[in-house]
Formats: sequence, C-alpha cells, structure tokens
Amino acid sequence: MSVTADRPARPARRAGRSRLGRRRRRAGLLLSLPAILLVGALLWAPIGQAIRYSMTSWNGYSAPVWIGPSAYTAALKDPIVHRVLENNALLLLAVPVAIGLPLIIAALLNEHVRGWRFFRSAYFLPTAISWVVIGMVALQFFAANGILNRLLADIGLGSVHSDMLASEYSALAALALTFIWSMIGTNTIIFLTGMATLDPSLIEAARVDGLNRWQIFWRVTLPLLTRFIQFAFVITVISAFSALFSLIFVMTGGGPGLGTTTLEFFVYQAGFAQGQFGTGALYGIILFVIMIIVGIGQLRLIRHEDGGGW
Amino acid sequence: MTAKSAPVPISPPVAAPPGVPAAPARPWRAARRRRRVTAIVIFAIMGVIVIVMLFPFWYMAENSFRNQSQFDQQAGHSLAGWTQLFKELPVVQELVSSTIVCAAAIALILVVATTAGFAFAKLRYRSSGLVFLLIVAAMMVPLQSIIIPEYVNLARFHLVSNYGGAVLVYAALGAPFATFLMATYYRGISDELIEAAVMDGLSYERTFLQIAIPLSLPAIATVTVLQFIQIWDDLLVGYLFLPTNERTITVGLAVLSSGRTTGIPPLMAGSLLSAIPAIVVYLIFQRYLIRGLTLGMGK
Repeated sequence: MSVTADRPARPARRAGRSRLGRRRRRAGLLLSLPAILLVGALLWAPIGQAIRYSMTSWNGYSAPVWIGPSAYTAALKDPIVHRVLENNALLLLAVPVAIGLPLIIAALLNEHVRGWRFFRSAYFLPTAISWVVIGMVALQFFAANGILNRLLADIGLGSVHSDMLASEYSALAALALTFIWSMIGTNTIIFLTGMATLDPSLIEAARVDGLNRWQIFWRVTLPLLTRFIQFAFVITVISAFSALFSLIFVMTGGGPGLGTTTLEFFVYQAGFAQGQFGTGALYGIILFVIMIIVGIGQLRLIRHEDGGGW
Repeated sequence: MTAKSAPVPISPPVAAPPGVPAAPARPWRAARRRRRVTAIVIFAIMGVIVIVMLFPFWYMAENSFRNQSQFDQQAGHSLAGWTQLFKELPVVQELVSSTIVCAAAIALILVVATTAGFAFAKLRYRSSGLVFLLIVAAMMVPLQSIIIPEYVNLARFHLVSNYGGAVLVYAALGAPFATFLMATYYRGISDELIEAAVMDGLSYERTFLQIAIPLSLPAIATVTVLQFIQIWDDLLVGYLFLPTNERTITVGLAVLSSGRTTGIPPLMAGSLLSAIPAIVVYLIFQRYLIRGLTLGMGK
C-alpha cells in the first residue's frame, strides 16, 4: 500500500525524498527504542539468564555451583517432575470442554433470541474478576460443608457428600472445573465474533437444502470456524499452563501432596518457597519450551490456512 | 438436552411443501410456531447459564453481609463481614496501591506502545519488521519462565522494595500485545495524511503527537481497559515484587485467604470490593474490551 502511495512523488523530488526518508527512519528508530529496551531488558534478556541459572545449583545467596546440561537429564528422570508434568497433561483434558461448551453457548447466542445481548454481557462478566476472587468462591463451592454438598443434599443426594479438595485427583478435577468456568466468557466471545463473520447466505442455502439446525451447526458453521477454534485452543492451553498460579495459590496451595502442583506452580515453589533458584529456573525453561511448541503449532496452522486460499 | 433433540424430528417437512400448492398456510404457521418453541427453549437454557455464571457474584454479596455463625448456618444477615474486613486488612491503603501500580504501569505501556506502534506502522527502517516480530513474540514468554532472573535483576537495582519493580514488570508484560494492537490500528491511517503533515513542516515526532495520537484514542482506550483489568487482577507479580506495606488489594486478599485463619464473610466482602472497580470498568467499556480480545485474532 505504501509503495503505491509513494510512487507519484518520487521521481520529481528525489533528493528531498531521500533526506525525508532518512529523517523518517531515524524517527522510527527513536520512537521504537523505548519498547525495544523495555521488552529486551525485562522479557528477552532474562530468558538467557534463566537458561544459565537452570544449569546451576544456587540458593540465591551463596555462589552458584555449575552443573551443566546434566541438570536437565537429572530433572527429567525425577519422579516428582513426572508427577507435576502428569498434572499438566491431565489439565489438558479440560481444554476440549473449555472449548466445546462455549461453542454451544455461542451458537445459542447467535440465534439472537430476545435478550441475547444481556446474556452475552452476563457470560463475559467473569472475565473482569481476578483468579483470586474466582478461587475464593470456588473454595467455598467445593468445600466439605460448601455449596456443592448443600446442593447435593437439597436434591436428595446427600449420600454422595464429597470433599473434592481433600484428595489429589479430585482436587485437580475441582481446579479444572473452575478453570473451565473461567474460560467460558472469553471463548464464547471468540466464537461469537467468528460466527458474526460468517456469510448468512451459506446458512440460508444449507437450510433450503433441508439441513436442520444441528446439521447446519456441524457441517456448515463448525468447519468455517476452524481459525477461531484454533485461536481459542491456543489461548486456553496457554491459560491452563501459565495463568492458574493464583487459582492454585488460593484453592489448594498445590496440594494435597503434589495433587494440584502444575509446572508453573512448581517454579514458584522451588524458586521462592524453597529458595532453589537454579531448579526453579530449570522448571521455567521446561515450561517455556512447551509454550514454544504450542506457539509454533499455532503459527503453522495459521500459515497452512493462508496457503489454503483466503 | 431437549433443545438438541427437539428440532431434529420435525425439520424434514420444511423442504417438502413445494409439491403441495393447495395448502401453503398450514406448514408456514407450523414453522412459525416451531420457531417460537425453539426460541423459548433457547431462552430457558441461556437463563440457566446466566445463573451459573452470575452465581458467584450473588454468593459474595450475600455472604459478605454475615458473621461467621450466620455463614455456617447460611441464615441471617449483618454487617460483620464488612466491619471485620476493614479491621483485618488495610483495605484503603491496598486500594491506593492498586491504583498507583495500575496507573503507572498503564502510562508506561501507553508511552512505549503508541510510539513503537506508530514507528512499526509508519516509520519503517531497516529490519524494523524483525524487531516488531521479536517484540510481539515476547507475548509467548510465560512470566514463570523468567521470574527468577527477573527477581534477581530487580533486587540488584533495589526495585523490589518499592513500586518500581512491579510497575516495570507489568509494563513489560503488557507492552507486546499493546504494541501489536497500536501498530494494527496505525496501519489503518493513510500514509498520505502523515506525509502531508511532514510536508507542511512538522517533524515526524510532532506528527505522531499532534496527528496520530488524537486519531488513535479508541485503540488507546482498548489498551487501557485491557491492561487495567489484567494488572488490577494480578497476583503473582504483585506478590513477589511489591513490599508488604505496598501490596495491592488482590495480593492482600490472596495472602489473607491462604492464611486460612480469617473467616469467610470478610473474605467475601474483600473479594467483592476488589472486584467492583474491574466490574465497573467492564460495564462501561465492554465494547473496547471485546474489540481488544478479538483483535488478537486478526492479522
């Protein structure tokens, strides 16, 4: 776009242009410098440091002791690390639900029945409140004498009385359920935006062809939403792996045992609760590598989509 | 459940009528009634979901007006939760802290994101595309991966004993997406407009201040709202990088709650209080928030 805009003026005042060009480039460099410094110093440089720390044994005070890359092989053989990675893998099971439910909700909203704007606002409202607040209410929900058990008693299922936060896997399930609830607003909005971009005549054509609502959703709407579903998938996985610190902190503190300690919480525990800076940094790098894989996956999906004729 | 199964068996006849020209009125009316029933079913389902999504707000509000024994019995109301909250938590000071940290970090984010966004969109220089990519890619760096060196660095510069460290980290975390958003917005401004201002004798820097900034107020609002909610609601950065007497409300609450010694009603009161500013911002600026979120999907 900018090339065509420049063209008419260029031959006439070449000298003035190039001086202007130099001024423009200098201004560009100057104006982008603050962002480069901020992001470089506080986000990129620490990655290098973290890699260095990760190969040492260091408590933050005395001199670090160099271990080298064998720190990684040792960590990857550690059964405790396996347990933590297992928690991360189990959390992934929540992702399809955290995408599927909002898809259905968005489809319902997209029918535009009376009051749908109010419903949309209400569903999105929880995205405004903190994980700390969500965790605090979730704690009361799953507690032994909490909301869930009272509800069960009210409908005559008092015998199912559960204390989900008291044992390892059920605590993780409680965490996952809370996470799913929290993602509903964000993902619903993503899908709703996606549905608004669809060409209504396609839906109309499918209806004329005799497809019912359910078939239209599966055969027409869903395939057209692929890009939005990928985006929601990446956001959800990133949140599951790197946004749940506060929820875990408030709801379970990582327990019982290692029941709800995910990689991100493990970094905090090793680094700050136990003062093992080297080990904490190492877990952080493992998390970073997982994120890169998710990110690259997303990039490839997008590029694939672009090649497919947009 | 009923919504899913209901439309399926009745649907096929819709396509059938063409063969029967004699009675067009009946299937048409049936279709309309069917549509009404579907709408009512959808409305009912959405009503149930609203209860699930808004219940926590109601729960916080109701139980904040109780004392511990009223809470245990889930009956009766009093002001105990609120009075106890103000006794146990330096609420006012924490709200002030939250405001200072948010304002400072957002100001910093706006400065770096508008300048850089404008530079990457309109004042391209050699390899500015690569620099832009590196800044935006920093979005993928999880804070936990760098938090230990970050802490070591900030402590070295004496920035963990005051607001400085937390403000810098919030600004750095918010900058990549904000820069991306601003650059996307500035790309929409025509090059001719910028060049015309420069031909009139304005420097590029002045053009940025006097032309680009006023034009980009909607994008600036989006960044502000998005970052406000993010920073106001954050625990990890504030917890690790702010000194105890300068904690934000979110951090104060989380620490109080993790102590497991405070009763539930004051915690519910605190939760509600901490959530109110973000909810108000959400209700007023919902449009900007949604735009910011969905802009992430655009190219």
